[in-house]
Amino acid sequence: MDNVSQASAARRPDSPQVITSLVMGLVGGALLTGFAAWFLKAESEYVVGFLLLLAVVGAVAASRLGALDRIGVAFGAYEKSLYAIVIAGVLVLAWIFRQDHFTLLMITTVMVYMLAGLGLNVQFGYLGLINLSGASFIGVGAYTSAVLTMHSAIPPLLILLIGGVLSALVGCLLILPVLRTRGHYAAVVTIAFAILFESFLKVNDILGGPQGLPVGAMSLFGWSFNNPITFGGFQASFYMNYLLLTLAVLALAFALVRRVERSWIGLSMDAVRLDETAAACYGIGIRRWKVLGFTLGNFLIGVAGAIYGMMLGFIAPANFGFSDSLILVSIVLLGGIGNPWGLALASAIVVILPEKLQMIQEYRFLLFASLVVLVLLFRPDGLLPRGMRNYLPGRKVAP
Amino acid sequence: MKWGMIKGAVAASAVALSLAAGPVQAKETVKIAFIGPLTGGASSIGLGGRNSAQLAVQLRNEDPDTEYDYELVTLDDACKPNVGVQVATKAAADREIVGAITQYCSAVAMAAVNVYHRFQLPVIVWGAVLPDITYGNDYPEVHRVNGTMINQNETAARFMTDKGYEKWVIIHDTTDYGKGHNKYFSKSLKANGGEVLGTFGVSADQQDFTAELTEAKSMDPDVIYFGGLTPVGVRIRRQMERLGIDAQFEGTSGIISDSYIDGLGDLAEGTVAFLEGAPLSKLPGGDYFKAQYEEAGFSEPAEAYGPFAFAATGLLMDTIEEVGPDRAKVTKALAEVDDADSIVGKIRFDEHGQNEVAQITKYVVQDGEWVVWEDSEYASGERSLTGAE
Amino acid sequence: MDAALLSQYVVNGLMQGMMYALVAVGFTLFFGVLNVIQFSHGDVLMVGSFVGYSAIMGVIAVGIDNPYIALAAALIAAVTLVGLLGAVIARLFVLPLRSSPPLNTLLITLMLGTVLRESVRLFFPHGSHPKRFPPLLPTDSIAIGGFDLRVDSVMLLIAGLLVIVAIHLVINRTRLGLAIRAVAQDEETAMTMGINFRFVVLVTFVIGSAVAAFAGIMNGLYYNEINFNSGLLLGVIGFAAAIVGGLGSIYGAILGGFLFAALQTVGAVAMPFDSAYKDVFAFTVVIALMAWRPTGLIAERVSERV
Repeated sequence: MDNVSQASAARRPDSPQVITSLVMGLVGGALLTGFAAWFLKAESEYVVGFLLLLAVVGAVAASRLGALDRIGVAFGAYEKSLYAIVIAGVLVLAWIFRQDHFTLLMITTVMVYMLAGLGLNVQFGYLGLINLSGASFIGVGAYTSAVLTMHSAIPPLLILLIGGVLSALVGCLLILPVLRTRGHYAAVVTIAFAILFESFLKVNDILGGPQGLPVGAMSLFGWSFNNPITFGGFQASFYMNYLLLTLAVLALAFALVRRVERSWIGLSMDAVRLDETAAACYGIGIRRWKVLGFTLGNFLIGVAGAIYGMMLGFIAPANFGFSDSLILVSIVLLGGIGNPWGLALASAIVVILPEKLQMIQEYRFLLFASLVVLVLLFRPDGLLPRGMRNYLPGRKVAP
Repeated sequence: MKWGMIKGAVAASAVALSLAAGPVQAKETVKIAFIGPLTGGASSIGLGGRNSAQLAVQLRNEDPDTEYDYELVTLDDACKPNVGVQVATKAAADREIVGAITQYCSAVAMAAVNVYHRFQLPVIVWGAVLPDITYGNDYPEVHRVNGTMINQNETAARFMTDKGYEKWVIIHDTTDYGKGHNKYFSKSLKANGGEVLGTFGVSADQQDFTAELTEAKSMDPDVIYFGGLTPVGVRIRRQMERLGIDAQFEGTSGIISDSYIDGLGDLAEGTVAFLEGAPLSKLPGGDYFKAQYEEAGFSEPAEAYGPFAFAATGLLMDTIEEVGPDRAKVTKALAEVDDADSIVGKIRFDEHGQNEVAQITKYVVQDGEWVVWEDSEYASGERSLTGAE
Repeated sequence: MDAALLSQYVVNGLMQGMMYALVAVGFTLFFGVLNVIQFSHGDVLMVGSFVGYSAIMGVIAVGIDNPYIALAAALIAAVTLVGLLGAVIARLFVLPLRSSPPLNTLLITLMLGTVLRESVRLFFPHGSHPKRFPPLLPTDSIAIGGFDLRVDSVMLLIAGLLVIVAIHLVINRTRLGLAIRAVAQDEETAMTMGINFRFVVLVTFVIGSAVAAFAGIMNGLYYNEINFNSGLLLGVIGFAAAIVGGLGSIYGAILGGFLFAALQTVGAVAMPFDSAYKDVFAFTVVIALMAWRPTGLIAERVSERV
């Protein structure tokens, strides 16, 4: 199927394809939301199994019928309205589960992983810089929020930013070796950092040592996020606060990353990833983009860590080890390198599936590792591969 | 069952409070939760705890005189604080769950107690030994049946200095467990007049300790104290021999396990270590617990903290029988627990919910088995510890 | 510091360095022929020690209690089976990814390492418990001043040295080694010269993995204990050592291995901070070295392939 001609056809607002695409997008969004709600509600493992089967069959059928392509086209052409659909879907889920603390925590955790995944995606997906210390940068953000919420009067919203900035600064320590090296050499630098960071946290007593640190609550205009929401007759778990905050931050970050991807910045990053030598020949400053991308990525990961710390209320070094970094990398790989939408699917699989299928708890690392191996072998671009770069996407040509 | 040491007694309390009378009818089902590490490095202890809690529930449900039917919800915290907060939220947010038996890993417990407090879920800690879990907060929901590492190390320091040892080298892993032991042991040792020549922090997955031990050897200590868990304990004891260090080896509750002896063979002989709780073998009915555990056909041994999980579960169910399945009432009733009988001895909670009756038992390895010190040939003088007077 | 203490540190460091070097040699061999990192190498080593352990248990179960027979059985079983495992990994997971970016190979083998590790933990009987590896070598020690030199340590060091010499000879003195070197230098030219590329790659993986299996048994004999978790860190250290030494250079890998052990020892004893910081110290130095010499101490001759 010729994507480009279809996409350009889809751009004409009066074409019937546009209408059907948009309708399919809406219907798809509604179906997905309904499915997610059912899945989150499911208690028995049989229901979960059935739903998984349904998802696989549905995905295969949709792709056979070409619905996926259509939705993809619709995404390209009407991304803004589809953002709205997705955000509305999350809000509907939040409404359904407003009293259900645990489900809200899970949904928010998925979004925190997505946020961190976005950061890794900039580094790995766009620039080709592999970062195997993602969990360490989450740790920098989380520890920043722990120290600052407990020992300073800085407004917590600002602490989120500081968490991101500090994470980016710590990343700058690695910049020199990462810039001077490439490929495997750079990978070993980040692995060394991941191991060093975890043992540093454990040995160091100032930051709570192995026991970890309590983290203060997020608060906004005097409203502490650890209070349940009561608003007239409406009551919701305090996790709703964090869910809404994370959703807002995620939406901002998502928009930012998509903008970067589409702009000449993203184009330059792609060039750097695909062929450094050729990129340099065309006058693209390799170092500049690497520094920018690496820093932006770590900033996003750090913000994710700061939110995560505040939501959990307690953090310890065991959360930020090398194996957690591997899980983050698997999320990016599973979802589809370079495709931020794939992150949503992959984070949901990695976070929610083991919770729903308690029997696989014991086998979850084996399962995820095997899944990633299979994906790399047979679908190296991930479950939702990054689409072809689409010039002028969403631009509506005047009739 | 493999481990001869755990000979629990079925709690007298298991029968004492079953006052329910009247015709047998469909009982109301009450949910309680068990949380512990069921996967990962500490999983053997976690599984043993879970089995013991399960056993307590099974035995209770077989009793026709109880008011309620109990259902145990088991959750895995994987010994990771973030997972711990997740499952703690899951248990605490489920209004059907009235109380919980929680946590072996101290770092996880530290993170999770805030959640229990926030949701007002009464919990009884069955294994985590860090003092701050009960003493670091004023949460009325949090209780603990096992002793803390403070109690353990006071006994350890007094016992060893009484034996005439003077100079120690301390090695500890850099987990909360090892660091806490280092802190409290050093403190108690000072109070008892012992001298610490050097302290080494090592990581919990470290393989090679020859650098640390070589330096330790040059300090010529009487005793090498190790605060940490079995795998590292085995490696250190073995590498001590490789380097020709002939100091007495002293461990903490973390090395009292079958796999310590399996891992070392003859080298384990003479190792001393300390465990919270009264020696179960001395309690009446110890064989009954052992027999019940075997009969239930669990595939994993109960391990060192199984009896605590059993006792905690029993205590929680006793309280529910007494005041009904209501979180606030259970919390209130638990605060007043005084001299309750259990297979780990009497339970009396202080104002922080910490069991005050923290008896510490001394153990020594003799002929491939952990033997209570007083019963050993070391105590009777037939054998002697390395370098003892 | 007196001489006895110093020599004790040196022996300890040599022993650890030998193991790191043997792991690092594998990394560098694989990189040489395929330009990929086989990250599950540390876990392959762990599998080697478990195969060896099973073989020893088997021999004991049959009723033979001669330690040397047990040792021979362990070595033969581990080297053969793990060599085969290396070939399978190369055939099924590494070669099919030849056309994708090299980092994909790093990631797939990283995940494969997790699969190996988790499989041993879940499916080996009591796999999550550390296993006692029986001491098969004589445990007498020679006292020189205040310093105890164990006979088994000396034997292990000599054995490790012999393996390194053997690898050196195979690479430099045999037709196979010539083929390996040719492929490493330029695979297309090598293929036009009639070298069977696929065969050379598979053989290289067999050699590298067999060396890892040997290191696994050495590890078991030295520490008398094996556990499913030991591979990851050894793999990371071996990789770091190979990188610091310079990927593709066997001598660089050996140098890197001993250097890393030296760093750990220095970090544990000669630095003014807590010995628990020794890994922090060692990895900090690795990162600094990477900033200073981005392609390792013995640099790849061709660092740019356009």
